[in-house]
Amino acid sequence: MAKKNRNVGIVGIGQTEYSSHKEHQNQAEMVNEAVRYALEDANITLDDIDCVLHGNMELFEMVFQPDMWHSLGSGAYGKDQFRITTGGTTGASLVCAADNLVASGMYDVVMAIGMEKLQEGHTTGGITNMADPLWFRHLQTGALTATTATMMMDEFGEERAKKAAMKYRILMDKHACLNPRAHRRFGLEYEQADDLMNTSPQLVGELRLIHMCSQSDGACVMIFASEKKAKKMCKTPVWIRDHITVHREETFNNFGIEMPEMTHHYAARKLFERNGIKDPVEYFDVFEMYDPSAWWGLDWAREFLLLKDDEHIKLLEDGEFDLDGKLPINPSGGVTASNPIGATAMLRPAEAAMQLRGDAGPQQIKKKVKHALASGFGGTLWSVLMMLEKDLDWQEVENG
Amino acid sequence: MTGKMALPNHYFAGRLGSKFIIALRDENKILGVKCEKCDKVFVPPREYCERCMSKLDECWVELSNEGVITNYTVVNYNDKHLPRRAPYILALIKVDGADTPFPHIVEGIDAEDVKTGMKVKAVFAEETTNTIRDLDHFEPV
Amino acid sequence: MAEYFGTAVEDIFNTMEERFLSEGTLDVDVTIGYNISGEGGGNWKVTIKEGTLKVEDADGEVTDCTAVLNANAETFVGVTLGKLDAGEAFSSGNIKVDGDLTVLVAILPKAFKPFKPVIKASAIVESVEERFLPEKAEGVDIKIGYDLSGDGGGQWTVVVKDQTCTLKEVLDDDCTVIMRMEAQVFVDLNQGKLDGGTAFSSGQVKVDGDIGVAGQSASLFEKYVAEGAAEEEGEELISLKCVPSINQRYATGPTMGKWFDGLKEKKFFASKCPQCGRTLVPPREICAQCRVRCNEFVEVGPDATVTLIDVVYYASPDPLTGKIRETPYTALFMVLDGVSRDESFAHDLNPKDIDRIKPGMKVRPVWAEKRMGTYRDLLYFEIAD
Repeated sequence: MAKKNRNVGIVGIGQTEYSSHKEHQNQAEMVNEAVRYALEDANITLDDIDCVLHGNMELFEMVFQPDMWHSLGSGAYGKDQFRITTGGTTGASLVCAADNLVASGMYDVVMAIGMEKLQEGHTTGGITNMADPLWFRHLQTGALTATTATMMMDEFGEERAKKAAMKYRILMDKHACLNPRAHRRFGLEYEQADDLMNTSPQLVGELRLIHMCSQSDGACVMIFASEKKAKKMCKTPVWIRDHITVHREETFNNFGIEMPEMTHHYAARKLFERNGIKDPVEYFDVFEMYDPSAWWGLDWAREFLLLKDDEHIKLLEDGEFDLDGKLPINPSGGVTASNPIGATAMLRPAEAAMQLRGDAGPQQIKKKVKHALASGFGGTLWSVLMMLEKDLDWQEVENG
Repeated sequence: MTGKMALPNHYFAGRLGSKFIIALRDENKILGVKCEKCDKVFVPPREYCERCMSKLDECWVELSNEGVITNYTVVNYNDKHLPRRAPYILALIKVDGADTPFPHIVEGIDAEDVKTGMKVKAVFAEETTNTIRDLDHFEPV
Repeated sequence: MAEYFGTAVEDIFNTMEERFLSEGTLDVDVTIGYNISGEGGGNWKVTIKEGTLKVEDADGEVTDCTAVLNANAETFVGVTLGKLDAGEAFSSGNIKVDGDLTVLVAILPKAFKPFKPVIKASAIVESVEERFLPEKAEGVDIKIGYDLSGDGGGQWTVVVKDQTCTLKEVLDDDCTVIMRMEAQVFVDLNQGKLDGGTAFSSGQVKVDGDIGVAGQSASLFEKYVAEGAAEEEGEELISLKCVPSINQRYATGPTMGKWFDGLKEKKFFASKCPQCGRTLVPPREICAQCRVRCNEFVEVGPDATVTLIDVVYYASPDPLTGKIRETPYTALFMVLDGVSRDESFAHDLNPKDIDRIKPGMKVRPVWAEKRMGTYRDLLYFEIAD
């Protein structure tokens, strides 16, 4: 990737609460709520915004080009606007696009809006509709598959794998209970693990209802500014260091006798290589990972952190992914707690940025947070991975 | 290969949207909201002003049931989701007191005779559906 | 306790405090007497003064009040719940008012939120026979067991067979599915106050047996509406329900066209990348890794080796038809003979092989009798032995 023209800071973050009951607002009003929070957080007005990015997955609400309607709430009137819809990765792609637009010098202040009102549509039907209509649509079961669970049980033994996936799930719920905006906060305890493991209804194979992500309504808005403006506007701007997007073919055809490298691994490998990160577990202070299910969250921890064998399970078992561990994962509760699809992948860098700023609220990590990792997921196993920094000090490392 | 895309949707009008439709349905009135700062009256109403972000949910204004056609088109094809059989007139109507026009059907006049600037008045539906069509159409005054 | 329309007289008085709207009575200063005759009746004196409320049990008839309402229990409850017309009750003498009638008419609606009857789980279950919809139960032969704990709970078996429904007050051993939960959870689920997903996920509901049956059984019964249930409190929120339905026609193009033509002849055609040698199934025009056009087709399969198995218990509705597949069904990931080792193919498994199928096994395709070049030509795969 070419060197950035200038650095990009995150100067404002706004989120609505995530729930499945927002009957009191229409879509434009829900977008407006998050926009107002973000503008307040950044202490600016609409006049300061040069460009608006808007994203969601159209198939869910079946409103085409909703950014037009949402201009009633987004404040985009009279401004340049781009629309991004890249499936589940939409939120993260919005952040990447904002970064590119500001870094390039085309705009100084960009506002990105990710939203979804799943209550107004049919989620699994919508996801199934993503498949190739000629061949795959009638076979697909939405986003549900137990292939990862099966492979993990093969590799680590049924009991250890199931216990690990459940521990991960309960850990995510404990984090969610701290997050006042999270959609689902069950209040699970580790003692319930055995019971849930065996009684939660199976969706597909060993993928049980308890492991699976929620379907939420909500919106997330982030405001980005060039380094000069960010430093003037904001007391604690945090910085986007780098990001990478890796897609693969639009079919679920990688479950053969040999498995090709996963996009998550490829993304991590490339991103860390070009940034000189040799030990991601040591380097990063927080990882907001897009984890659509407990099984995937655990498996992808190994991929994203470039671990081997059962290192990821050991880290989980030793409590290193807890809020007070070596590398906390999803202090926000992750995707199993809140999943407003168009915004979900933006929540990850948003929550990571709040951790860097030190104002993440009850889910704030106590240790000093300087380096954050955030991921997005979508489509047929696509990954977006980005690095966020508290201070602008990595430049010396690059130039050194 | 033929196929069909048919998924159920359930859209919410929001608090203000609901009040707007209820006023059409129960009182045969058209309501808007006014942004004092921008000095603009918006219809249909929305919770916040899109220009200055002022809160508008307590700034209701009762508008006239009469207005003018600011623009129009004639729909000449039939489709199962359209509200009338072709040809019918779809116009933008600015009711007196509002600063924004909204689209609706105009009846009681031939397509050739419609002119922008024409005065029209609202006719409300006998059987209501909890939608904008509780205002059934506009007709020349 | 005597109940009328599912409610006891004292329920109405016992809930007055919580239903009281202080702001609506700041300029009010009245006393209202209630003499309710009949089983479950009683006498009460209610004082509303400048935003405060006092409800007292009275010994014997109440007389000295701004207004005194005399009625029998059934009429009183019926009118309060809106089940009986107040005007008719007055005209017919079933309600008599001594004193200032306007007090009742003008002040009561401002002073109290409408009474909503408490719904008991037992009432919901015990009404299944009346709410049963036989036309929806064609071919259905199931027994649903309920094991509800707490106030209003109990054990029941609902038998649906030959388009009739019978309720038993015991929990049978051979239920198709048994649902176990607190009675209040059951009521909240039934009335839409708690969503099923949350209830299951958080362990508030435990299910023994076929969970698919549990979900589908809801469509066999009319919704339970409590007798005397008042209008939903609060503002009316408008929404629009619709099913946008768009017809579509897809062109297959020559590459997928070759695939579908192959199916007609019970053959699988893959495309081959001239650069990396990958075989792509179904065939694709471009190799995504090499970004080179794949012009060569090779015949592959028809047998395959199974790599992974997904047993699906929760089937989402088909967006093309709205129908839900019967579960459980098995989706297979496999590598067709002659295809590169990292390119998998996915399809269904013949249901008769669900118990025997294991990774590594060889499977063969089963074709439809009449093949027309669509995905329906390939029915499923089965174990090749």
